[in-house]
Amino acid sequence: MKENDEIKIGVYVCSCGINIAGVIDVNELVEFAKTLPHVAIARNYKFFCSDNGQSMIKKDIKDGLVNRVVVAACSPRMHEPTFRNAIEEAGLNPFLFAQANIREHASWVNMKDPEGASRVAKDHIRMIVAKVSKLEPLERPKVKVEPKSLVIGAGIAGMNAALDLANQGFDVYLVEKEPTIGGHMAQLDKTFPTMDCSSCILTPKMVDVSRNPKIHLMAYSEVDKVDGYVGNFDVTIRQKAKYVDADKCTGCGACAEECPVTVPNEFDMNLSYRKAIYVPFPQAVPNIYTIDMNHCIKCGICASPNVCEPGAIDYDQKDKFIDIKVGTIIVATGYDPYNPSQLKEYGYGKYDNVITGMEMERLLSSTGPTLGKPVRPSDLKAPHSIAFIQCVGSRNFRPGMHSYCSRVCCMYAMKQARQYKEKHPDSQIYIFYIDIRAFGKGYEEFYEVTSREYGIMFIRGRLAEIMEDKETKNLIIRAEDTLLQRPIELTVDMVVLSIGLEARKDSDNIARLLSIQKTADGFFMEAHPKLRPVDTLTDGIFLAGVAQGPKDIPDTVAQAKGAASSASILMAKGEVAIEPYYSEVNEALCAGCKACQSMCPFGAISFDERKKVAVINRAKCKGCGTCAATCPTGAISQNHFKTEQIEAEIMALLKYGGTY
Amino acid sequence: MVTKEKNKKLAYSFYLGCVIPNRYPMIEEATRNVLNEFGVDLIEMNGATCCPAPGVFRSFDIPTWETIGARNITIAENNGKNILTMCNGCYGTLLEVNHQLKTDPIKRKFVNTQLKKINREFKGTIKVEHIIEVLYYDIGLETIKEHALKKLGLKCAIHYGCHLLKPAEIRPWGGETEDPKFFDELVEAIGCESVEYKDKQMCCGAGGGLRSAVKEASLDFTRHKLEMIREAGADCIVLACPFCHLQFDLGQMEVNNIFREQIGEPFEIPVFYYTQLLGLSMGLTPDQCGLVKHHNMKGVPPFISQEKALRKVYDVLGYDYDNV
Repeated sequence: MKENDEIKIGVYVCSCGINIAGVIDVNELVEFAKTLPHVAIARNYKFFCSDNGQSMIKKDIKDGLVNRVVVAACSPRMHEPTFRNAIEEAGLNPFLFAQANIREHASWVNMKDPEGASRVAKDHIRMIVAKVSKLEPLERPKVKVEPKSLVIGAGIAGMNAALDLANQGFDVYLVEKEPTIGGHMAQLDKTFPTMDCSSCILTPKMVDVSRNPKIHLMAYSEVDKVDGYVGNFDVTIRQKAKYVDADKCTGCGACAEECPVTVPNEFDMNLSYRKAIYVPFPQAVPNIYTIDMNHCIKCGICASPNVCEPGAIDYDQKDKFIDIKVGTIIVATGYDPYNPSQLKEYGYGKYDNVITGMEMERLLSSTGPTLGKPVRPSDLKAPHSIAFIQCVGSRNFRPGMHSYCSRVCCMYAMKQARQYKEKHPDSQIYIFYIDIRAFGKGYEEFYEVTSREYGIMFIRGRLAEIMEDKETKNLIIRAEDTLLQRPIELTVDMVVLSIGLEARKDSDNIARLLSIQKTADGFFMEAHPKLRPVDTLTDGIFLAGVAQGPKDIPDTVAQAKGAASSASILMAKGEVAIEPYYSEVNEALCAGCKACQSMCPFGAISFDERKKVAVINRAKCKGCGTCAATCPTGAISQNHFKTEQIEAEIMALLKYGGTY
Repeated sequence: MVTKEKNKKLAYSFYLGCVIPNRYPMIEEATRNVLNEFGVDLIEMNGATCCPAPGVFRSFDIPTWETIGARNITIAENNGKNILTMCNGCYGTLLEVNHQLKTDPIKRKFVNTQLKKINREFKGTIKVEHIIEVLYYDIGLETIKEHALKKLGLKCAIHYGCHLLKPAEIRPWGGETEDPKFFDELVEAIGCESVEYKDKQMCCGAGGGLRSAVKEASLDFTRHKLEMIREAGADCIVLACPFCHLQFDLGQMEVNNIFREQIGEPFEIPVFYYTQLLGLSMGLTPDQCGLVKHHNMKGVPPFISQEKALRKVYDVLGYDYDNV
């Protein structure tokens, strides 16, 4: 558009079905809009977002009737991209457009006051018309996308995402903080509803990951620092010292045999022991031993050449920092199992025979501490009666507990009950539930079979409390059977608390490193709960698995593949257009005070020491406007939100005595 | 908390309620003397009425319950000092009314319309505190340990009482309702052992209007608790609520009557209000702690002899039980 072109604004008042027109007289708004300065055309239509509606706008532009567009409709969060695309297709710069939100801000909130709603809608239209008359055409700068990806967390989600990306030819850095990949799935025995053995389906994936030449596996490592922006993230990875030379270690295990220090094994939920030099489990990938320096006494036995023939032990190893550059990041950091010791009435940690579902899983596992034959902790005998307690820490509105459903506990409790019943057909199993949530494919059928054919007692009621018989260590449990509407008291040999999933304890740290958000439940926030479930609000960063919210293995894998697909779209294109809302420095006005630099939350401002002026990195700038507001000399202005543009809006409101 | 408050002189609007003045004036005696030792000022609440009782009044008519409760609170507001109550029931009512009216403008408007007729207004300027809360937080456990020089050496079955703990959201115990420890810590501070017993958090049986409405059901609760306490081998019951006190004291006699066949040996477990024992531990005389020697006056509390436990304590303290 040439500068001397006359400004011709088209105002398109949307009825939004009855959402707007049901409250406000839209024709009155059209007539009102026509009275505003620079407005050439004002029209009404039922749905401007529809094909027909968009065509009306496009036609006016093509006919030369308008050269700037205001759509008075819903929130710009909803349809700004729609209308920008439309006017761009018609040959107009998409930034000569603004949307007046007369639905959320006027008709919806003032449903019972049509007159007031109409007044507010007029204010909005007047302000946006004034703003649009001051807007300038902008170009979206393009930046290159590094065709490499960082995947944080190598559980079933991270591994699937990494494999999908690697198989498309992208380099993937797969970072895992534990000494082995595999995540929580490696700890599971069988998986519902098909009862496949978890390791049997997991370990081949782990091997695939380790063999894939495009996957750079960084186990026992953590993300230390993240800089940059979509397409160009500069990441520092801290490779923690294993005190074992990874190139020399053959994984023979001679060191662990000789190590004199025994430590509770976290992989077995502390139900067994490992040595201070260890691999978490025999199929670990990479199969390299790690010294746990919190427990190592540095006796030197493992370092002796008789024990470690290749001489891999290195007590002086230091953490290594590795810098990488990637275009996209996938966060697949998983979950922590809920710790039920806070629920004092269940006595976890106080009574020997109250265990968690995760502990039961290890007891049932053929590679677990009891080789798949569960025993109760107090006397190491197979319990005759077991009560499974559902919703422990989940669906609980008491302070410090989680109100959400953890989505896997009903299924895993039924699975564990079945497994135990298969091994001990005479045993008596109870499941105390609020309601059974068997929602996935094949789950309801699994519930059907479990409840009808296994002789397992399902009792609807949340457990009130557990008490211990001091002598026998049996547990007396009390609940209300809400179907029979009477209190019940039972004595059982063992209680399994079906604990839920919660956000990782260090998830705040990850959120801060990556500038991503968390929802109230503590999990990472997706960009849109329905339509963008794998994206974050930070471009180029995606979510996979339970890091985003509790889910089972099929959903986790599906989301991981979705995240890989979203990341690969960016990398396959090779470049990405970024929003042109970045700030710019007028070098003539800049006094070099660096105030803006200290305020910028994104580290987008550097300082040119030669010219003594601030320099803004357009790609890093997120357009928050903090620098523009901070600058004492008015040298910084932010595109699309320039002072004169915002002033025009405010003046339009004040001049006519707005309703606020 | 302790150190911060230490230099500040503590003062409270002292709310007596109904059960203490009418049935257990010794609780008031002990509490006043103990708080005096800590230098706490108690300001009388002239014109205070029944709280009114959370079980009975609230069950029938909530606005009435709130209005009467609010009237009591306004007396303390005029004093400018937080309310201190020695009763779990009063704590329940006043704390919850105060919370409701501070957070719900509609209820507050209704209550203030009523109060206006007697030239009063609920302003929402004070807090409602329980004696246990004042001891544990305001005076502080450490200060209590410093003052409680004599170790009494009793095995105590602690009864918290329902309104002291629930609902947890507006109480100062960090959300803990199932296995709280603060009262145990206070009892351990005076050199007593808190014995574990089954169903420690169970209701005494008196609350919710149950004692008035269905006495036998109410006493069945008490019977169960007493059995558990006897099984645990406790010397006495320690509590911080006059209504629980009544239920365990007078109710114990009633249990011995009604459930005679079921319980075998009749119960004889002494019941103490916490400040009575705290006072002894701080060196107050049994008289100052409201410990009545001739308990067996008909119709006058305590109904259950405290002799066994007191003899044990007096041995430690060096008093002669028969000549105190």
